Amino acid sequence: MQLEPVYLDAATFEKILTRALGAGEYADAFFERRVARSFRLQDGKIHEAAIVVTSGVGIRVLSGERTGYAYSDDLSADALSRAADAAALIARDPAAKIAAIRIEGEAKLAPSVYEAAAQAGSTDAGSRAYVDLLARADVAARTFDVRVGAVNSTLSEELQDVIVATSDGHFVRDRRPLVALAVQAVANGAARGTGMCGDGGRTGIGYFDRRTPEDIAREAARIACVNCDAVEAPAGEMEVVVGAGSGGVLLHEAVGHGLEGDFNRQGRSLYSGRVGERVASELVTIFDDGNLPGERGSIAIDDEGTPGRHKVLVEAGVLCGYMQDRLNAGLMGTESTGSGRRQSFRHPPLPRMCNTYMPNGSSTYDEIVGSVKKGVYATSFAGGQVEISKGDFVFMLAEGYLIEDGRLTAPIRGASLIGNGPDVMTRVVMVGNDTRFAGRSYSCGKGGQYVPVGVGMPTVKLARVTVGGSSVG
Amino acid sequence: MAEPLTFAAAAVADAVAAGAAEAEATLNVIERFSVEARNREVARLEQSTGRSLTLRVFSDGKKATLVTSDLTAESVRRFAREAVDAARHVAVDLYAGLPESRGPAGDGSSLEIYSPDVRERPNEAKIDDALGLEALSRAYDPRIVNSAGSHVLDAVATLALVNSKGFHGTYRATQVTRDAGPIAQDGESKRVAHYGSASRAYASLEAVDSIARTAARRAVDMCGARKPPTMRCPVIFERDVAASVLSDVFAALSAANVAVGNSFLIGKVGHKIGSGLVTIFDDGLLSGGLGTAPFDAEGVPTRRTVVFRDGVLETFLYDTYYGRKLGVASTGNASSGGVGPTNFYLQAGSGNLEALISSVPRGVLVIDTIGFSTESVTGTYSRGARGFAIENGELAYPIDEFTIAGNLVEMLAGIDAVANDLRFDGNFVSPSFRIAEMTVSGS
Repeated sequence: MQLEPVYLDAATFEKILTRALGAGEYADAFFERRVARSFRLQDGKIHEAAIVVTSGVGIRVLSGERTGYAYSDDLSADALSRAADAAALIARDPAAKIAAIRIEGEAKLAPSVYEAAAQAGSTDAGSRAYVDLLARADVAARTFDVRVGAVNSTLSEELQDVIVATSDGHFVRDRRPLVALAVQAVANGAARGTGMCGDGGRTGIGYFDRRTPEDIAREAARIACVNCDAVEAPAGEMEVVVGAGSGGVLLHEAVGHGLEGDFNRQGRSLYSGRVGERVASELVTIFDDGNLPGERGSIAIDDEGTPGRHKVLVEAGVLCGYMQDRLNAGLMGTESTGSGRRQSFRHPPLPRMCNTYMPNGSSTYDEIVGSVKKGVYATSFAGGQVEISKGDFVFMLAEGYLIEDGRLTAPIRGASLIGNGPDVMTRVVMVGNDTRFAGRSYSCGKGGQYVPVGVGMPTVKLARVTVGGSSVG
Repeated sequence: MAEPLTFAAAAVADAVAAGAAEAEATLNVIERFSVEARNREVARLEQSTGRSLTLRVFSDGKKATLVTSDLTAESVRRFAREAVDAARHVAVDLYAGLPESRGPAGDGSSLEIYSPDVRERPNEAKIDDALGLEALSRAYDPRIVNSAGSHVLDAVATLALVNSKGFHGTYRATQVTRDAGPIAQDGESKRVAHYGSASRAYASLEAVDSIARTAARRAVDMCGARKPPTMRCPVIFERDVAASVLSDVFAALSAANVAVGNSFLIGKVGHKIGSGLVTIFDDGLLSGGLGTAPFDAEGVPTRRTVVFRDGVLETFLYDTYYGRKLGVASTGNASSGGVGPTNFYLQAGSGNLEALISSVPRGVLVIDTIGFSTESVTGTYSRGARGFAIENGELAYPIDEFTIAGNLVEMLAGIDAVANDLRFDGNFVSPSFRIAEMTVSGS
């Protein structure tokens, strides 16, 4: 696998880091070159093509709790020197002696955790392959049901090369594929309904040979048709069953963010200082894993060069540990867990989730739904958000139903569900034996930076959650 | 690198040489200086110049876009060719193409969007602002014990736009923001509040001590918050939350959503949707506005558009493509992401927020929401919220962990009082307003 000449070599990295380190304790440089191609279909026709090239270097200097950061999309020696000087502003001490930094040889390629599959790339045949997949999705969505009207879909594929060089001599690189097909359908029935479905992962468009565009499009059309007949969601506290798969958004919001190293080092999280304590019902175990083959949140190395890994966050209700990047791990006297991620070279790394999931419990789906007299079944979520300090979070229904006497009845309109993370996790009263990962389509936002993530979940029953519909009584 | 206009013109020439019938290039150069302070120390200092080229190419109504940060001549040429090649796989679309020429571009010099002192102010003074936000919010109350960080971000942007029909325009703009995120200890719990100010110039930015005080007061005031009862009642949206409701309304007004059936306002132009208090403008020419520019992302002059007048929906908002598709002229709302707002705001009323509160026997004041899903197709609205319970016209106690829900059509029709506290500190801004009845879901 050859790198193009536009990529930086060892000597350049050595020069940047030597200049940046100055009086700092540590410096690193993150080179990125990412080419993303996408096609969008609208009104049954290919509407537009897009290419996004993200190319540049981010330079960081750490000094105690202080971070200096600068980036440059200009790879000329002058521009890189200016960026190194700007990053060094945080720790400028003319008296400091410059440490010797050695960056040598070729950056070492991390062992892949990605799914091998053909990438389409920039060729004419590649473009035809994208367009064919979108056309198949469009036909499948439109022919699913006469009520299906507008269909929009986007197919995107990218390849991101990263090289990380550090002042302590690490020099590693990674080549990350990512593909996504997202279909949105609108159906016109008693009311209008929308449905979305997306899938893909750290693989190429060859992935859609197995997970076909027809499957994804029909799922979007099905949800749109269900939502045509939806009634107003109820308001108030009630039992809620969270569906397998995208129910993992609950873990991501209610627990995951609260276990990120920065919030805990700064004492801002409700989980700060609570490792070893009981923080959830004993039915709750939560993992985060950067190594799941092909999952959207997987990374062979993180954006600081640390290998991705499997982390036990909560085991049988007991808090086991946090997700750490280099800065926060160092300040807390522990090791990075390979969780340092960034949106692009324009952003400094932060501790982030990769693929967050709950393993199987022992109940069956039928037992769980059958146990609810009156409540809500949340099939899937459009997303969620958490306020980290008090722990209040919301998650937004994409598809849901009333549960009456142990059976799913009427579909309900999009509503937010709100709870307090630690509080809700003590109310997990049943966990299903049907863990699966959600369609690979979520991205997580933190500090204005978006990174692709995965979530997984079995069917789970929560004893009491506030459902934010508009129907009272 | 060449001058921005020269660089953009060269990119257009590359696209035409690669076979594009029409091309448009926009070069953005942004100089950013940002500081995060926490606990009276500088936590992060960033200084960078970022550049980005957006190239749109058209051939026989087939469109492709390139966005790149690799601005070497060789790379621009290579990816321009790739974009032209990719466009061959796009369907013929008679509406796609550059806007008609409309004469020389404005340079924005009369719009008060560029403030030279942003570049002149020393870095030390900017760092002091961040440290000041931390120190002053900490000093406000002994319960403020921690911080989610105070931030300073000063940016100077230069934009140059050139197209193959002869348009060339360039302007400079500045933006300065200051915010604080104090955390109050509330027994076992923590309460964070975020509050800030943004402007084109320091002169119109809220003072650091005022930002710090407001942020700290909001954190402390939430101590002891509890869930409100589930009820139907009047809901007052404080200014910043009111602006977020306007952003949901905008989504339904964007012609990009209207054209694909993704709007609850389809077929409603000329209809009375809102109450008589709903007069909404999108004003790209507002002096000093954060959404102000002489021309939009495709070079169409910006303008002032009345979107709702006395509750009647007057128009959707268009770029050139969706305008042609739906048979009307562009409203100058092209943005890099499609159709976007300029300065989108609800006209202010007469009384202050206190007067709104005093008129409510039993209801809630919402000062913050979390969550983001609004069904554009139906207008179904539901958010997590926090704020205050109102009893007999007074703020009775802080409330959190509840939701507010309704439908945007009913919400617009239900706006029965609008305050006078409008300020222009974002693309979406609004005075505080009251909605006659919504569902509050709590305990």
